[in-house]
Amino acid sequence: MRYSPYLLFCLLLSAYSENSAAEEVTFFRGLNLNGPQVLIDGNEWEGADSTNYTCNDSAFEKADAILIPPTDPERAKMIRSSRWNGNRVELTHIPAGTYSLFLYVWEDNNSETFEISVNGNSVGPRIRSGKAGEWQKLGPWHVDVTTDKIELSSRGGAANFSGIELWRGKHPGDVEPEITDEQLTFFETKIRPLLIKHCYECHSSESDDLQGGLLVDSRPTLQRGGHSGPAIVPRDVEHSLLIRAIRYEPGLEMPPAEKLSIDEITDLEQWVQMGAPDPRSDATRFVRKRIDVDEARQFWSLRPVMDPPAPILRNADWPYSEIDRFIGASLEANQLMEPVQDADKYTLIRRATYDLTGLAPTPAEVKAFIEDDSPHAFAAVVDRLLASTHYGERWGRHWMDLVRYADTAGDNSDYPVPQAFLYRNYIIDSINADKPYNQFIREQVAGDLLPAESEAQRNEQTIATGYLAISRRFGSVIEDYPQHLTIEDTLDNIGRTLLGMTITCARCHDHKFDPLSQDDYYGLYGIFESTQYPFPGIELDKTPRDFVPMIKDGNPSEQFIYGMAEGRANDAYVHVRGEPKQRGDVIPRRFPEVLGGYMLSVEDARQSGRIQLAEWLTAGNNPLTVRVMVNRIWQYHFGSGLVKTPSDFGKRGLPPTHPELLDWLASRFIEDGWSLKSLHRRIMLSRTYQLSSQCDESLRAAQRDPDNKLHWRFNRQRLDAESLRDTLLQMSDELDRVMPREPHPFPPSDQWQYTQHHPFRDSYDSTKRSVYLMMARLNARPFFTTFDGADQNASTANRDSSVTTIQSLYLMNDPFVHACAEKIADRLMSHTNSTEARISHAFELLLGRPPENAELQNAHEWIEQLEQEFEVHPENTEHNAREIWSAFVRVMIRTNQFLYVD
Amino acid sequence: MICGSIFLPAILSELQAADENTSLTSNAGPLAAKPSHFPAKAKRIIMVFATGGVSHIDTFDPKATGDGRDGQGKDKLMGCVFPTRRDAQCGIEVSDLFPHLRETLADMCVIRSMKSAHFDHTEAAVGMHTGSATFTRPSMGSWLSYGLGTVNQDLPSFIVIAPHLPYGGTQVYASDFLPAYHQGTRVIPGTAPIANLLPRTSTERLQQLELQLVDRLNAQHLSGRQVDSQLAARMRSYETAFQMQTAGPEAFDLKDEDARTLEMYGLERGETTSFAWQCIVARRLAERGVRFIELIDSGSRPNWDAHGDMKEHVPLAKAADQPLAALIRDLKQRGMLEETLILWATEFGRTPTKEGEFGRGHHGDCFSIWLAGGGVKGGYVHGETDDIGKSIVRDQVDVHDLHATILHQMGIDHTKLTYRHAGRDFRLTDVHGRIVKDILA
Repeated sequence: MRYSPYLLFCLLLSAYSENSAAEEVTFFRGLNLNGPQVLIDGNEWEGADSTNYTCNDSAFEKADAILIPPTDPERAKMIRSSRWNGNRVELTHIPAGTYSLFLYVWEDNNSETFEISVNGNSVGPRIRSGKAGEWQKLGPWHVDVTTDKIELSSRGGAANFSGIELWRGKHPGDVEPEITDEQLTFFETKIRPLLIKHCYECHSSESDDLQGGLLVDSRPTLQRGGHSGPAIVPRDVEHSLLIRAIRYEPGLEMPPAEKLSIDEITDLEQWVQMGAPDPRSDATRFVRKRIDVDEARQFWSLRPVMDPPAPILRNADWPYSEIDRFIGASLEANQLMEPVQDADKYTLIRRATYDLTGLAPTPAEVKAFIEDDSPHAFAAVVDRLLASTHYGERWGRHWMDLVRYADTAGDNSDYPVPQAFLYRNYIIDSINADKPYNQFIREQVAGDLLPAESEAQRNEQTIATGYLAISRRFGSVIEDYPQHLTIEDTLDNIGRTLLGMTITCARCHDHKFDPLSQDDYYGLYGIFESTQYPFPGIELDKTPRDFVPMIKDGNPSEQFIYGMAEGRANDAYVHVRGEPKQRGDVIPRRFPEVLGGYMLSVEDARQSGRIQLAEWLTAGNNPLTVRVMVNRIWQYHFGSGLVKTPSDFGKRGLPPTHPELLDWLASRFIEDGWSLKSLHRRIMLSRTYQLSSQCDESLRAAQRDPDNKLHWRFNRQRLDAESLRDTLLQMSDELDRVMPREPHPFPPSDQWQYTQHHPFRDSYDSTKRSVYLMMARLNARPFFTTFDGADQNASTANRDSSVTTIQSLYLMNDPFVHACAEKIADRLMSHTNSTEARISHAFELLLGRPPENAELQNAHEWIEQLEQEFEVHPENTEHNAREIWSAFVRVMIRTNQFLYVD
Repeated sequence: MICGSIFLPAILSELQAADENTSLTSNAGPLAAKPSHFPAKAKRIIMVFATGGVSHIDTFDPKATGDGRDGQGKDKLMGCVFPTRRDAQCGIEVSDLFPHLRETLADMCVIRSMKSAHFDHTEAAVGMHTGSATFTRPSMGSWLSYGLGTVNQDLPSFIVIAPHLPYGGTQVYASDFLPAYHQGTRVIPGTAPIANLLPRTSTERLQQLELQLVDRLNAQHLSGRQVDSQLAARMRSYETAFQMQTAGPEAFDLKDEDARTLEMYGLERGETTSFAWQCIVARRLAERGVRFIELIDSGSRPNWDAHGDMKEHVPLAKAADQPLAALIRDLKQRGMLEETLILWATEFGRTPTKEGEFGRGHHGDCFSIWLAGGGVKGGYVHGETDDIGKSIVRDQVDVHDLHATILHQMGIDHTKLTYRHAGRDFRLTDVHGRIVKDILA
């Protein structure tokens, strides 16, 4: 029952392609299902009394309904009177042949969703009728007639069938009527000069200040009109506001200075009467804030990405790679070329293993690396780690931070989204597969619309749009459901995560600091207003809907995806001061001006525009997407980016510490086919990555650059929440390393009774890796809150690494820590009987290195002290020894060497 | 429990050590006490939030029932449904719902001219806490934690005692874009108000020995790493945590409260789930230097949302009246009222017209709240509504004004307490806020 309109598009697209060889298409019959004969588009239609059909549905008419969009009087008459209840029409007396069928439907009150079938085959699985007054001409659907009949029916919500149009042959769909030479001459000689002379000053894209939101310098904007409604209804002089205004109807007098001459008025009337033929087919727009694009692009992040050569260092022996030459050059320039020594091998393998997998190296892995004397030993470790499935879990989690992944919707009852895990697994699988980053973005923004070679790929790409679907839900009301906040959340995330821009500042007003106008915001907004978000349920409307079915054996299955589908394509109004009810100008869907301002073609505008958005985001000339991503990769490796504000590359962010290196990395990234793994290798095999994190306080660099902006040492990093928990499970031998491919055990959706006072609050613990734990938006897991886990409600670009008393209490007293310590103690005790060997093994296991002599001695003395104090007797040796070794493990877990990675 | 332990020879109560006017030391944690912008009148806040919308007409702004205002008329106007009385000392009229508080009016400042831009529960409740109903923003407690830190590092800076969540849920005490340690720590009345406070080792001695070895190993590890202040901070944090194992449970344990005190609050000994318990604990947390303490009096129904029958106010008022009056008295007796600002608030008022059998609807155009202590006038009424309680007649106060005034009493200029987020500087009061000077002592 929950199908997505993309099927419809597929169907239509295939119909188009079959029709590539043009053939004669002729009007066959029009049928006004409830009402008289009418003349529409120059074709004579039959009325309700026609004998060429049967229909037993109820008749319904609302003669005063205001139609959206407005249309000519004859068509309006046909639409406003319709039939409903039953929704079955049989067209009869049709000679054999191929036909194209159009159906007019409209909505008189509340929006309905229904499915249309022709001869029993679904052609429009999920049609939405829209709000009161909206009408649509559906089709064309191509039908081969053999039995002289066509049956048209609908099911689901109530549909108002107004009229049917039947053409012989394969109609390609409605195209704009051709303008005749005669009409063109009329327009160019009479109308255009008149509009320019009397109207453009206040009503064109060149106006200093647009009046009434009306642009008369293009056909689409004239028909769309301004604040008062459509300026022109073709062929309907009386309902065209433009005509009423120039006639000086009270309150509408235009132009204000002086009434037009009788001849001019007559010309305009005549022009509207002939259908307002107008060659100016591209919608114009009025840009309130004219951004000086050339000037804006002088800002560092908006300049084209360069490919600078790596500098030559005075100390030519130091660098391993070009990265080191960039880093070394700025150290030399700051007279700081006294880098710390390289990290030792124990430190290096622990660093790399946590960095790439979020887990500790095993003693065997450490041993193998220590014993490998080849110059490629570290490269081999990096390759081994990159090939591990744990790599995708670690780096997938970084992406999940950015896209504020959660398993619940975030409204105030926090409805569960059991299908969200599909998107989580998609992220991890894609990263493990080293899917090119541009493809990764395209799939997440428009995967449902991209071509697919197989069903598996089709489903995977639809799952990818979970990125958009997991946008936060707000509020708890059915009327005025705050969809605009969800779209804002989508745009906020696209802005920050992909572009490093704070786009949503422009929701209420032009951006105060960055070259983004409110028009830029609503240009993007329209794309998502034209997209259908799945509805996860709220307190007052508990049933989820609009999920996308997985395709199985060519058909929609009963398995659903929390993904996106196309909605009704339309451009969005500016929300004046961010208030959705205060409508400003309509802004054509487009990319922000400073990033090219690309617009949708007329053809593209029939869909949401997400495909185009995905292309614009990943275009080679978009300087932000690549820079932002390579900076993030750098940041996750080093604990801090070249740009310290990784999600704000605007004026309020910080400029890069190494702009040439940033661009060099960006260029390599593109050159390497947007491969993350190649970038990891480049970075990790640099000497800069392999430096020690230790230093002498007296070191000049330590005094001159204490924050290590110049990378004269490596940054020590605290284990993040996931790594801490996963390591404890790993050390306890309890970690379940298999990726779950089933949903979390949420109760069935028909049992959901979540309310704002009793929101969803289960937790579903497991011994899986932390990335697989169920993450709710409203009730965060206390452990993750304590250790600075990501915020499920907002893009997290930087994890804090706070030091709090609550953390220490956790490490001292939490049952999980104590349970793990006991299990690790058991491992130590079964490993060997010697105290020294147990201590050594504990160091190797927990810290990835053998103890130093002083440590061994300290630990040994301490164990002996405990044995004395706890009076280890032969009869309770086992029990007390376990307690002592558990205590020792708890000590190790609380040490800075365990909690931080050097 | 442990005094002068071998592992913690140098622990001093930070409460004693930290003079609020001393400047920051460079190694202090993010919650260390920070200087205020100017000398503060109040050092801490106890906010009480009455969920659901308390009728101003039937409580602190009682309206006459004359002229047929009994809810039976065509206009359905309904005056105060409870008897009212003027306090003999300061002449402020309050209904019989709050007989105890009526006795402490000399220390209270009632604002009868509050206005809420919203009259949906969630929006209005979140707005009262964060200043914004349309965007998610940090709550006032988080802002104060961020602006002033806290004097007692053994306890969180912002504690919310909430048996139930109010409308808006956790958003009312969320830190939003402020760092996470500024968010409210929710305490649910019961046995374990803060996680992991109880030592889990078999003996106390064992935990001490463990921490000694941690300290020793960490000290060795520190060599070559001295420049990293995090490492030393973490070593210190075990000391604080160790201390908090005592300070935390102690703060929530009422066993050393004498019988007279319990009686004043109306609390049975051993009882931990009533509003009276919340009020005594609030005083104890205030004594221990917690910066912002919030008490949520009710959550889901039953709360003050009396659509059907104004009598629904009776049990709620009864539960809150005596403990609140006791809190004011208790703080005063202990000399703490002057530097502790109590704020009692609700999300909006209720309509002057009857709804349902005997209830009232939501009304944001005017409602009443009150403050006590913290340099605010006592025995004072600010603002006035018309004779039916529909509109404000003078001295309107909106949420931003209230917030600006509270920050002012805490020594903070509300236009200067900013946090940069998403490319701009945010404030609790956004671009609004006007200090209500009339109520300041």
